[in-house]
Amino acid sequence: MKSIPASIALLLFVSVASAQWMKDPRSSLPKKSDGTPDLTVPVPKTADGKVDLSGTWLADPDPRGSRQNVENMSFSQYFINVAADLNPDEVPFQPWAKTLFMQRLQSQGKESPTAHCKPSGVPAMNSVPLPFKIVQTAKFVLLLYEENSMFRQVFLDGRQPVKDAEPRWLGYSTGRWEGDTLVVDTVGINDQVWLDGMGHPHSDQLQVTERLRRRDAGHLEIQVTINDPKAYTRPIMYTQKLTLLPDEDLLEYFCSENEKDVQFFK
Amino acid sequence: MIASICRMLAITVVLAFATKPVLAHHAFAAVFDAKQPIKLTGTVTKLEWQNPHTWFYIDVKDESGNVQNWGMEMGSPNLLIRAGWSRNSLKIGDVVTVEGFRSKDGSSNGNAQIVTLTNSGQRLFAASSQAQPAQTR
Repeated sequence: MKSIPASIALLLFVSVASAQWMKDPRSSLPKKSDGTPDLTVPVPKTADGKVDLSGTWLADPDPRGSRQNVENMSFSQYFINVAADLNPDEVPFQPWAKTLFMQRLQSQGKESPTAHCKPSGVPAMNSVPLPFKIVQTAKFVLLLYEENSMFRQVFLDGRQPVKDAEPRWLGYSTGRWEGDTLVVDTVGINDQVWLDGMGHPHSDQLQVTERLRRRDAGHLEIQVTINDPKAYTRPIMYTQKLTLLPDEDLLEYFCSENEKDVQFFK
Repeated sequence: MIASICRMLAITVVLAFATKPVLAHHAFAAVFDAKQPIKLTGTVTKLEWQNPHTWFYIDVKDESGNVQNWGMEMGSPNLLIRAGWSRNSLKIGDVVTVEGFRSKDGSSNGNAQIVTLTNSGQRLFAASSQAQPAQTR
């Protein structure tokens, strides 16, 4: 195969990239000597001195994964499996949860909500291969997800979820600061949500805790704890790493726009 | 015994997820057959640059001259845009060679893994950082 000269390839790429409104080279981050934003500068602070989590973030791909598909990217291992850090026989299933999980595995994900363009839900939505944007204020934090243009509101004003509130795809989220870490608790997640692509189930007792820590300007960690004693005999934990997209913004993404795969299910 | 079967199954599925293309919104295994690799050359007739998956259609001529239209699925346009591509990267009338996997239902549809402009050999829709053409998988 012939390859086009690098200079032409670069020109082509630059012309394509500059045509997109979402690419804004006026990054707020200082530039390195090669012109790219320096992701390792210190964490920005808000006017009131808090760590500022604001930015457009994308889950890091599985470091052991191979690049796949035409986009040549690999996805987060936790998007596929919240128990990716455990051996399969160490997953602390309650018996019913294990049975349901195995059924879902055997059906090859045909009943996965995302296969039918429903939301990935909490906590998988942080690990999908589409970015989300954090908007931080003193009283609430907004999480704006590219996936189906969804949003979550994390209230920091001390309110608590209403008991027996109607279960929802994204549940009800409240947050508090522990030092520089934003701790988000979410309850009221409906039973249609799968915890991941493989189909780890949950019960109405599910509480998801996300601990968000911005290590430096360009790197965020979300330590996720899945606490659901009805489904798992002990909590499942993992840490999703994310990287800032310093010059980019969200795009529109509606899964129902042109979904065709369900007709091929076999 | 049950535990070991479960473990084996889980490992198999994990491996399948890890080594086969995992698409942004569905399980690849329910739709496409990794045991049916296809390689087709044809002329682009239509492009659907839409979520959750880009589709393009090519007229493929067989040995006896019969033309069949194939639908090929790619990833989300949002992912392709972030890799530096646009809806103008592939045009109606372009002749492309596509490597991928056929749909399980045996219809003229598939999942595209590697798309190459047949005349120039330029690989389309690869990551922008990847200067060289497709590696063989």
